[in-house]
Amino acid sequence: MSWSLRFLACVCCAAPFLYLGCGEQPDPGLDDQVTTRGRIEVTAELLEIPGEFPPNKLYDYAYVLKYRVLEVHRGDPGADILYIGHYNPLKPRQAVVDKRVKDIGGNLRRYRAGDCHRMALEVPIDDFYMGGIINEYHAETDAPVYWAVWTNRVVR
Amino acid sequence: MLTILTVLSLVWIPGQAESPDPQVAALAEEIASKGWIAFSARGEGDTWDVFLCRPDGTGLRNLTATREFEEAAPRFSPDGSKLLFRRMEKGEVIDHDKWGFQGRLMVANADGSNAKPLGEDGALPWASWSTDGGRIACLTVKGIEIHNLATLERVRQMPRNGIYQQLFWSPDGRWFCGVANHQGELWTVVRMNATNGEVNPVREYQNCTPDWCPDSNYMILSSRPAGQPANDGYGYTQLWLVSGDGAEQRLVYGEDGYHIYGGCVSPDARYVLFTKTRGDGGESEKGGGPIGVMRMADAPNIGGESPDLRKVHPDANTAPVLYIGQGWEPHWTYAEIGSAP
Repeated sequence: MSWSLRFLACVCCAAPFLYLGCGEQPDPGLDDQVTTRGRIEVTAELLEIPGEFPPNKLYDYAYVLKYRVLEVHRGDPGADILYIGHYNPLKPRQAVVDKRVKDIGGNLRRYRAGDCHRMALEVPIDDFYMGGIINEYHAETDAPVYWAVWTNRVVR
Repeated sequence: MLTILTVLSLVWIPGQAESPDPQVAALAEEIASKGWIAFSARGEGDTWDVFLCRPDGTGLRNLTATREFEEAAPRFSPDGSKLLFRRMEKGEVIDHDKWGFQGRLMVANADGSNAKPLGEDGALPWASWSTDGGRIACLTVKGIEIHNLATLERVRQMPRNGIYQQLFWSPDGRWFCGVANHQGELWTVVRMNATNGEVNPVREYQNCTPDWCPDSNYMILSSRPAGQPANDGYGYTQLWLVSGDGAEQRLVYGEDGYHIYGGCVSPDARYVLFTKTRGDGGESEKGGGPIGVMRMADAPNIGGESPDLRKVHPDANTAPVLYIGQGWEPHWTYAEIGSAP
């Protein structure tokens, strides 16, 4: 076999391994916090981001996002579609805690439609969070709004 | 060493009684003896203190004069004999939205004497006087809590129904007002029935910092109407008078280039206080802004040239406004206080 053919053969054999090495490894979004905080724990797909997140220059707020439940880990969310309020979604979860809202977090850095999140939740949001809430779904549903206590990124 | 009053006088323009504008001078003379105004301002050492002055800006007194604390947001009791305010650690930045959650609630005589803390840091948030001054209504995540002021015993609790900040109890005790999440929107001032908890919005879109008029039928609030071309489409916040049911709404004061906050109506409803700042929110994070006084009868009143605002309100007045100094969140009583200078 010529050197060029040997080289080509080596590349073809190594390619799958190279691809796996550069791509993301599956990540179930597990940590000690998401499995213990809140009363409900789900893995869910963020279906859409209905509007633009306002800047935090002047005020803080929670933004309600719409999810489809993929897997229930704890508790009973009671529905396949959940409306979940996230505090100051422009901020990474690791940096979102402030003087008013202390017991939340996670490893999620940014919100993107189509991504999956593993979340510890409480409901209804008003029992756990007192502040401005932007809810673009208010007119279309009276389903309870959940409060995202811990939000981790999932790679499936 | 400069005294406190010397420091404040560098930015304080008492009374403008010698204003070159005779209308402003006339307004100053008209209100000079009408009780006292309490407000927050930076004192000696640059910390926030609670100050008192006559409505024309004269008779300035620092009621707290503490270098080790930040003290702000004074509210007279209905009879004018007491003050509530919040005391924070030195260096804590006063949040223009969430100040009612900050620091410890303090109660004092209206002249600042006998100041005592009530509860711990962060406790009794947004404390608001009852009609008789014997109770306070507070806003917590669990709901609106009514406490006996003397004992701090909680005597009643009711759902907050979306209200999340700036809670105030009406003078007649029948209503609360506050900023709420309503119909999917934040920054909606609502009125709540203090008996059954029923809520109604009073104005839509981006409004806040409500306060009651003495008759408990109307409120003064700050509102940033949508659709303003100025300020890159963000617009400017204005002072509005609205009825408790939201049916009547009237511009009180606005000025292109300035955001108007801290609205407070005088005890006889004939005058109104406000602050104006270049930045939105009232600028409690800095030093507040000029405190203005105008006659309610002159509303709607527009300051400066304000071409954008005058297009929307072509019938608005250009009426005198007396500026009495720099500060934040003023409050007015007609009670006489202590030994006035």
